[in-house]
Amino acid sequence: MRTLRDAFSFGDLPLVERIGFAIFIMFCTLFPWVTKGSFDQAVMIQFLIFCLYGLGWNLIGGYGGQVALGQAKNVGMSAYTVALLMVWWDIPFWLSTPLGVVVATIESFVLGYFLFRLRGHYFAIATIAVSLVWQQLFINWDLIGGARGVELPLKETPNFLYMQFASPIYYHYFAFLLVLAAILYMNWFRKSRLGYQLRSITSNEEVAESLGINAHWVKVKAYCITGVFAGMGGAFYTVYYNYIDPFSVMHLELSVMIALMTMIGGAGSMWGPIIGAMILIPLDRYLGAWLGGSGIIGVDFMIYALMVMIISAYEPKGIWGIIEKVRARR
Amino acid sequence: MPLLEIIDLTKDFGGVAANNHISLEIERGEIIGLIGPNGAGKTTLFNCIVGYHKPNQGAIRFKGKDITGLKPFQTNREGIGRTFQIMSISGDLTVLENVMVGSFCKTSDRRTARQEASEIMNLTGLEQDAEARLTELPVATQKRVGLAMALATKPELLMLDEVASGLNPRETEEMVALLKNIYVVKGLTLFLTEHVMEVVMPISQRIIVLDGGQKIAEGRPQDIANNERVIRAYLGEKYAKGRRDRGSI
Repeated sequence: MRTLRDAFSFGDLPLVERIGFAIFIMFCTLFPWVTKGSFDQAVMIQFLIFCLYGLGWNLIGGYGGQVALGQAKNVGMSAYTVALLMVWWDIPFWLSTPLGVVVATIESFVLGYFLFRLRGHYFAIATIAVSLVWQQLFINWDLIGGARGVELPLKETPNFLYMQFASPIYYHYFAFLLVLAAILYMNWFRKSRLGYQLRSITSNEEVAESLGINAHWVKVKAYCITGVFAGMGGAFYTVYYNYIDPFSVMHLELSVMIALMTMIGGAGSMWGPIIGAMILIPLDRYLGAWLGGSGIIGVDFMIYALMVMIISAYEPKGIWGIIEKVRARR
Repeated sequence: MPLLEIIDLTKDFGGVAANNHISLEIERGEIIGLIGPNGAGKTTLFNCIVGYHKPNQGAIRFKGKDITGLKPFQTNREGIGRTFQIMSISGDLTVLENVMVGSFCKTSDRRTARQEASEIMNLTGLEQDAEARLTELPVATQKRVGLAMALATKPELLMLDEVASGLNPRETEEMVALLKNIYVVKGLTLFLTEHVMEVVMPISQRIIVLDGGQKIAEGRPQDIANNERVIRAYLGEKYAKGRRDRGSI
């Protein structure tokens, strides 16, 4: 009961933040009715997926201070589980998703258990290395489609069990619900014992251990939860695009994007990942569409990189850090 | 049964014996001072007890249970709290939140943790600083925060590492008064390493002296102050000799 009350209570946040959250909910609810452009709607759904990834990554990367650059493999494993179960045995989304999430979480657990013996940069490098190995495995593993990827069998009529709909509106709302659930979870998390312990480990691991915290175990737990978020996102990604390959869901670029986005928005803060996604995803897609079409290839990446550099040089705590500074000054 | 029992403990770092066959006992409710010149092995002994180092030889028993080689978080759960000489805590945790992290050691309920944390902060005089960040505070207050954090884990034995280093005489006096108060209110056993004699001498019931990794003396403060081996260890051979000469004239 208390857990639920904690999750749903935003009372301790400043009024501005609560208003902001309300506007966010309204915007996401009304968006499909206001916009008719299919490109805009696709960008919106991508934004929601990345919110989910970012909110999850924020646990280990923000609150936990561990630069884990391997979210893509968790996304990929869950996505592949869902896709392959549907292709091979025609298992519906609602049954395969829990399995996909479990696979992603187990991978997180095993990896976290061993890799958290490393600290700082070494941990980051190790997660990159493992992601690259996994991607190569998936590219060369013919049984699961290899480099060609997996295409989901399309149903003739829209089917709720397999999450196949004619209109993107359904996907939009489903993704929105996932994000809302993630926000509620994070709202509980930041007040929970695990949240406090994780932040304490980030500030000083030695001190945290002297306060009875098993730092290794707490990090593994947080990494597993991050895996759950990534797994959920991956499962949704599969049914939304109906096609996955090792380059879209297992790619290091995706891992880096998730981490960057969260850091730019403000790692270790409640709204940071959402702000990051809100800025980077539209910027990335619209710039790509606009400049890509004009023939100047690569300029979108330059603008993108410039922004990343400016923000990280100006305020390491991201946009949320800037907001907090301005607020403290007043 | 002593609360803490160290039996023939040896710790060497690549041939250099930082602790050489040390044995000592601490009874429940005692205040023990651990002194010795730089490099005597005080910190090593501390770190062996709380589990940052694993001793090469010997055993550590706490409440009769063998805790040799346990990790720091495990010794804390057994009931050994510790403070740090310099506690560098970055990040955005406030003082209250840091103390709550300590309380979360024994409870998972946020409200209980918060209440316990405020009680301890009242005891250690930190009511004003609840919302401050540790780095914004003066050294004396930081030391009290460290004390509050350790207390929040409800230890039976509190080990204080150089609790008065970096404090001015007035702050040192306040710290001694605070320690005495905590000792009475919480019914703790205190084990402190210290350079500042103004802290150790008035507060300790018994003092243990280390030099060169070995225990060279143990006894009541006034006896230790007159112990020749101790004076020699602290001031050097020359002074001890000069003292003896003067005494004979």
